[in-house]
Amino acid sequence: MPSVSSIEEASGLLAAAHAEGGSFRIGDDLTTDGLSRILEHETGDLTCTVEAGVRLSALSAVLGKTSQRLSLDPPGDPTIGALLAENVSGPLRHRFGAPRDLVLGVTLVLADGTVANSGGKVVKNVAGYDLARLVCGSRGRLALIVRASFRLHPLPKATRTLVVETDDASTVVAQLLRSQLQSSALDVLHPGRVAVFFEGSERAVESQVASAQDLVGGSEANLDVWDESRRRQAGAGGRVCFEPGRLREMLSQLSEGIVRPAAGLAYTRGEQPSGSEPQSNEAGDRVRELVRRIERELDPHGVLTG
Amino acid sequence: MSLPEIFAVELRKALGQEHVISEPEQLRVYECDGLTGHRAVPELVVLPGSTEDVQLVLRACHRERVPFVARGAGTGLSGGATPVAGGVVVSLARMNRILEIDLESQRVVVEPGVTNLEVTRAVAAEGFFYAPDPSSQQVCTIGGNVAENSGGAHCLKYGFTTHHVTGLTLVLPDGDLVELGGKALDPDGPDLLGVVVGSEGTLGIVTRVTLRVVRAPQVVRTLLAGFHTMDAAGAAVSGIVAEGILPSAIEMMDRLTIEAAERAVSPGYPEGAGAVLLVELDGVVEQVEDDVAEVERICEGSGAFELRTAANETDRALLWKGRKSAFAAMGRIATDYYVQDGVVPRTRLPEVLRRIEELSASHGLRVGNVFHAGDGNLHPLVLYDAAAGETDAARELAEAILDACLDAGGSLTGEHGVGMDKACSMPRMFSERDLHTFERLRRAFDPTGICNPGKVIPTPRLCGEVPGPYRIHALERIGVAERL
Repeated sequence: MPSVSSIEEASGLLAAAHAEGGSFRIGDDLTTDGLSRILEHETGDLTCTVEAGVRLSALSAVLGKTSQRLSLDPPGDPTIGALLAENVSGPLRHRFGAPRDLVLGVTLVLADGTVANSGGKVVKNVAGYDLARLVCGSRGRLALIVRASFRLHPLPKATRTLVVETDDASTVVAQLLRSQLQSSALDVLHPGRVAVFFEGSERAVESQVASAQDLVGGSEANLDVWDESRRRQAGAGGRVCFEPGRLREMLSQLSEGIVRPAAGLAYTRGEQPSGSEPQSNEAGDRVRELVRRIERELDPHGVLTG
Repeated sequence: MSLPEIFAVELRKALGQEHVISEPEQLRVYECDGLTGHRAVPELVVLPGSTEDVQLVLRACHRERVPFVARGAGTGLSGGATPVAGGVVVSLARMNRILEIDLESQRVVVEPGVTNLEVTRAVAAEGFFYAPDPSSQQVCTIGGNVAENSGGAHCLKYGFTTHHVTGLTLVLPDGDLVELGGKALDPDGPDLLGVVVGSEGTLGIVTRVTLRVVRAPQVVRTLLAGFHTMDAAGAAVSGIVAEGILPSAIEMMDRLTIEAAERAVSPGYPEGAGAVLLVELDGVVEQVEDDVAEVERICEGSGAFELRTAANETDRALLWKGRKSAFAAMGRIATDYYVQDGVVPRTRLPEVLRRIEELSASHGLRVGNVFHAGDGNLHPLVLYDAAAGETDAARELAEAILDACLDAGGSLTGEHGVGMDKACSMPRMFSERDLHTFERLRRAFDPTGICNPGKVIPTPRLCGEVPGPYRIHALERIGVAERL
């Protein structure tokens, strides 16, 4: 199984496959494990640039030394390439977004070996098409991601978790979302619990927890509940998008699951509840047809099988 | 080029006489956007009233291979809405309805002609707001914001348009329709929303947008600090960031800009200041109080000689007044000015500002600096007098400033877009392979090349055969010697 350790090597392998009718499944029979350098961490700019084979845990260890982090906490310990290709997020999705929200730029190797850059390493930039976002969620079908830059955040000075046991999670969630509290994570561990995570100064998290308790009750808990959330997310059979305002309807159709209500994301046993997005098969087909047109332009010989 | 008469007849019949403009006098209204140096008169302007109308227009354009350009309020600063001579302008002005307010989902669904500020106005009473706030927000439209991925002073904390669009209805250049996203975030598959937002109207026409609105913060505090030098103000910015504080906005103005603002609107900024820093913090009470105390300490430690804070709307508006009027105020001290839009990594700000000062001196033209210091987005205002023949020197200076930004590892544009203005500069930031890849992506959406042609990607016709010198891309420079 080839694991490339330089961009030239990746480019050569793909160019050859393109010319000779070969194919690759990225992450399976072509990996970037050898591209494992953290190229730059600009603490004063809160940005970093890393190669795609770097594991999230390795990056976090380096960033943590200066009290910074990449605010993504997906289950497991994906490489940066996989993180982007799957656009996978964890509980911090609630406040900080998915990989597509924090990526600033990428270097890609296209199926014909072309090395292409998009974006940059500055947090604000609108020059050119956003290929960095394009490859988020592309699951290895559009290009090999070899390098990426990210926006970082400071590590919080203090954190608190509140867990509310309830048989009416949608009301609890609605009350929290309607309030002016600013939580970093808000998960429904369905059925029966809502977990809220506060980050900030010592005084701020203390008062937020107290205000949240006044509003919805519950008791403080340790970080285990977030591990449970990630574990159950990883073990889920399916992922569903839904209108955040239809949380009650969604929960009523699920036997169990991890639900991120503000994002409208549910990790389920595999059920496809009514009311989930896209709302018709036809709409989904049209999007898939557009994706195929992009695939044909970027990978006309079908080298990347995803 | 002249369009077949049958084309106009067909569109008149479908859209109604009054929604198809072909009188030369009326066409001239559409000949440019906010970048008035680029002009072209379109053959026709159409004003569709619905997604179906837009589809019909684009099908006709596709069939006849007629280029078209979408247009919102025409406030763009990069010429993204400059018409194609002989082509069609599709004005979205009539599609200005707010279609749905769904606060249970924290979403608002609008047509593209709705203005930015109308979205906030529609939800403010319920305690919500729409976060991206470009300074033209009273008039600029959501459609234009989507095209440009607009930012604003508060995007430091809240993000850009791309972070607030959850769904789009897109009419492709052949008239086909595709629905991207919805009210949920992170739909399956490649992030096409992320591609379309910021594509400057080159991938199709957006006819419906689902936006995320945000709960208004408990408190907002604004601080104004006067410094003797830009370096001291810059040190304060670095200090704030290093402390792990994330203000919603950090804005900086230099002596020349302060002077212009004083003449125009008399905001009463600290006398003798060489730099003014505006810092806004919002969120839960205790956090904001803690952060304000820290920011005050950092500013004083960096040499601020005057500090003011505002806790109510009136006082806040006063502190912001000078900043908000800065561009217009330049009219008081110069006959003409050009607004540049470049980005540098925040930590490189001091050296780039010094470089701009040198360039200003060597070109013999004044440059005012007013910028989003928190994210390194510079808006140098190059002052000149066209009547005195200074236009070329001003253009050269503006270009040299961009080079300084790129040399520091930054970008050609932070929020105004590439459009026509900077298409020929793209080879200075991107290699031929990068640009060719952009072209391939564009072709997937617009294989016949009729959708806002001549924008974003340089063409030999537009820029001549020889592109400017390529500078190593920021991602490439980092410990890497591997341009292939």
